[in-house]
Amino acid sequence: MQTVIDAHNISKVYNPDTIPVHAVNSVHLHLNRGEFTALVGPSGSGKTTLLNIIGGLDAPTEGQVVINGINISELKPNQLINFRLHNIGFVFQAFNLIPVLTASENVEFIMLLQKRPKAERTRRVHELLASVGLSDKLNVRPSQLSGGQQQRVAVARALASRPQFILADEPTANLDSHSAATLLDIMEKMNREEAITFLFSTHDQRVIDRARRVITLVDGRIENDSAATQIRH
Amino acid sequence: MLTIIAWRNLWRNRTRSLIITTSVALGMWAGTFIMAIYFGMGEARLRIAIDNEVSHIQVHHPGFADDKEAKYNMPMDSLARVFQKIPAIRAFSLRSVTTGMLATTSGSQGIQVNGVDPAAEQATRGMQNFVQDGDYLDPAQRNRVLVSTKLAKKLKLEIGNKIVLTLLDTANNITAGAFRICGLYHTNNAPLDELNVFVRKTDLDRLIGTDGRAHEAAILLHRDDDLDPVFQQLKQALPQLQIERWQEISPETALVLSSLDTYSLVFIFIILLALSFGIINTMLMAVLERTREIGMLMAVGMNKLRVFGMVVLETIMLAVIGAPAGLLAAWLTTLWLGHTGINLGAIMGESLRDFGYAPVIYPVLPWHNVVQTMQLVLLTAVVAAIFPALKALRLKPVEAIRT
Ligand SMILES: Nc1ncnc2c1ncn2[C@@H]1O[C@H](COP(=O)(O)OP(=O)(O)O)[C@@H](O)[C@H]1O
Ligand SMILES: [Mg+2]
Repeated sequence: MQTVIDAHNISKVYNPDTIPVHAVNSVHLHLNRGEFTALVGPSGSGKTTLLNIIGGLDAPTEGQVVINGINISELKPNQLINFRLHNIGFVFQAFNLIPVLTASENVEFIMLLQKRPKAERTRRVHELLASVGLSDKLNVRPSQLSGGQQQRVAVARALASRPQFILADEPTANLDSHSAATLLDIMEKMNREEAITFLFSTHDQRVIDRARRVITLVDGRIENDSAATQIRH
Repeated sequence: MLTIIAWRNLWRNRTRSLIITTSVALGMWAGTFIMAIYFGMGEARLRIAIDNEVSHIQVHHPGFADDKEAKYNMPMDSLARVFQKIPAIRAFSLRSVTTGMLATTSGSQGIQVNGVDPAAEQATRGMQNFVQDGDYLDPAQRNRVLVSTKLAKKLKLEIGNKIVLTLLDTANNITAGAFRICGLYHTNNAPLDELNVFVRKTDLDRLIGTDGRAHEAAILLHRDDDLDPVFQQLKQALPQLQIERWQEISPETALVLSSLDTYSLVFIFIILLALSFGIINTMLMAVLERTREIGMLMAVGMNKLRVFGMVVLETIMLAVIGAPAGLLAAWLTTLWLGHTGINLGAIMGESLRDFGYAPVIYPVLPWHNVVQTMQLVLLTAVVAAIFPALKALRLKPVEAIRT
C-alpha cells in the first residue's frame, strides 16, 4: 500500500503565551492511497485543526506532515500554496465557491490556476459536474444552488485538480440528511471506482457509518482508530 | 478568468461601485474642463501675443535690446528684400521705435513712440481693430498720433488735442514735434497700452533722422509651425542682426503657457488624490466583505501574486470605467462652450485685460493632456489598489475560513 499522508507526532497549541489551548496532542496519522476515512469526535475535539495542519493551511506547534514523501513543513509559503494547488483537494463546511462564477467556472477555475489547456478543462468540467449529478446546472451561480448542490460542486472542484487526496471538513454539516446521503454516495462512488483518497471529518453518525475507517479524536488525542482495532482483532 | 472575476465582483455592490464610478466621471469632467479653460486661456494669450503684440519673429539691431537709441537701426530695403523672398511670411512691419516724453498742458509721461506704416501695422497686428474712438492713422495725414484710452484718461487727453513728443535723434540731439490725437486705442494688454503711442513712420523718421531705416521688424507667419524654419532662414540671411522668436521676445507668455500646463496637471492630480481615497475605501470594504472567499481561494491554491492581481484588476476597473464618461462630458462641454465662449469679463471686469487676457475664453481640449490625464488615472488606480491588495494578501486562509 502506498502512503499518502504521514502525520508524525502532531501537536497544536493555540495562544501559547496567554491561555494555551492544546487543540491537538501528539497525533500520529497514517493514510494509504484509496482510503475512505472519517475523522470523528465531538465539537472542539480538534478535527478542524488537525485537517488544517494536514492540508498545509496551518503549521503544527510540533511534529511533521509528510505528503507523498514531501515534508510540507519545510516548504516556503508560496511553495506551499502551489503544493496545495496540485496535491490536495479541499471541501469546506461552507463558502467553498466563488459567488460570481457559475458552477462550471468554479470547477474550471482551479484547473486554470494549474494552467491546464482549455480543451482538457472543458472536457473535465463536463465530466466532473456530470459525475456529481449537476450536468443541468453548468451555468448556474452558487446562490441559485441548494446547499447540497453547492457541496457537490465543491467536490467536483476538489477533484478537478487531480489531487493526491481530498480533505473535507464536515462537508455535510449544513446539509439535510437526504443531501448528505447523496453527497456521501458520490464520494463513495469516486473512492470505489477511481480510488480517490478521502479524509473527512464529521460528527454525524449516519456519515460515520459510511466510512471504511474511523479515527476518533477526543480532546486532541486519537482515542480510537478502527484500522488499528481491526489489526488487533 | 481573473478579469471576469474582477469585473463581476465590481458589480456585487452596484450602488457602491456606481458612486465611485460617478465620482470619477465627475472628477474627470471637472478636471478636464478646467484644463480646457486653462488651455483656452493659454491659446488665447498665445494668439494675442503673436497676432496682436509681438508677432512671430522680430528683428533688431544687436545694440537695440540694451539701449533703445535711435542710432541702432537697420536698412529697410535690404530687410524687405529678404522677407519678401520667404513665402512662409504672411506680413511684416518695419518700425521706427524710440523712447521719449509726451507732454501736454496737464502733465507729461515717458513713453515709447512707434513709427509705423499704417497698412503694414494693420496687416501684422491688426492695429486698426483696436481703435475705440476716433480714427486709425491716416497715411495721408501728417503728424497724427494714436494714444491708448488708458493714457488718455490718465493725462485727460481727448481726440483732437495736441501733444508734444520730445525725442532723441540718431545723433542724440533733443528734438520735438507736435502731434494731434486722431484716435484712442485699447488692446488686450493694458500695461503695454499705457506706454505706447503710434505715429506714421514718415513723421517719426523726419524728427529723428531715420529715413529709410527701421529699428524693428515684426514678422507674422502663415502658420505657427513655420516658426523655427523661418527663424533659421533669417539667421542665415541676416547674420549680423538679432533675430528673436516670440518666446524670446515675450518670455512671460511662454512661461504662462507652461505654467498653465502645470496648473492643470496639479488640479487633476488633486482631484485624483481625492478620488483615490474613495477608491481605496471602497476596495478595502470589498476585501473585508470577501475575507472568507479570498481565504478559500488561497486555501485551494491561488497564490499571492494572483490574489494581488485580482484585487488590483478590480480596483483599476473601478477607477477607470468612469473616466471615459467624464472625458466625453468634458469634450461635449468644451465643444459647446468652445463655440459660445465663456465671458469671464462679466465676472472679473477689466482685471483680465490688465493681465493681457481676452475677457472671453474659448475652452480647448488639449489632447496631449487628455492622454496624460488618462495615464494619471491609471497610475492612481494602481497606487490606490496597492493598499487593499496588500490587505487581501495579509489574510490567513485558516483564520479567514473558520466559521
Ligand atoms: N484560532 C484559534 N485560537 C484559539 N483556540 C482555537 C482556535 N481554533 C480552534 N481553537 C480551539 O481548539 C480546539 C479545537 O478546535 P477545532 O479544531 O475547531 O475542533 P473541531 O473542529 O473538532 O470542532 C477547540 O477548543 C477550539 O476552541
Ligand atoms: Mg471543526
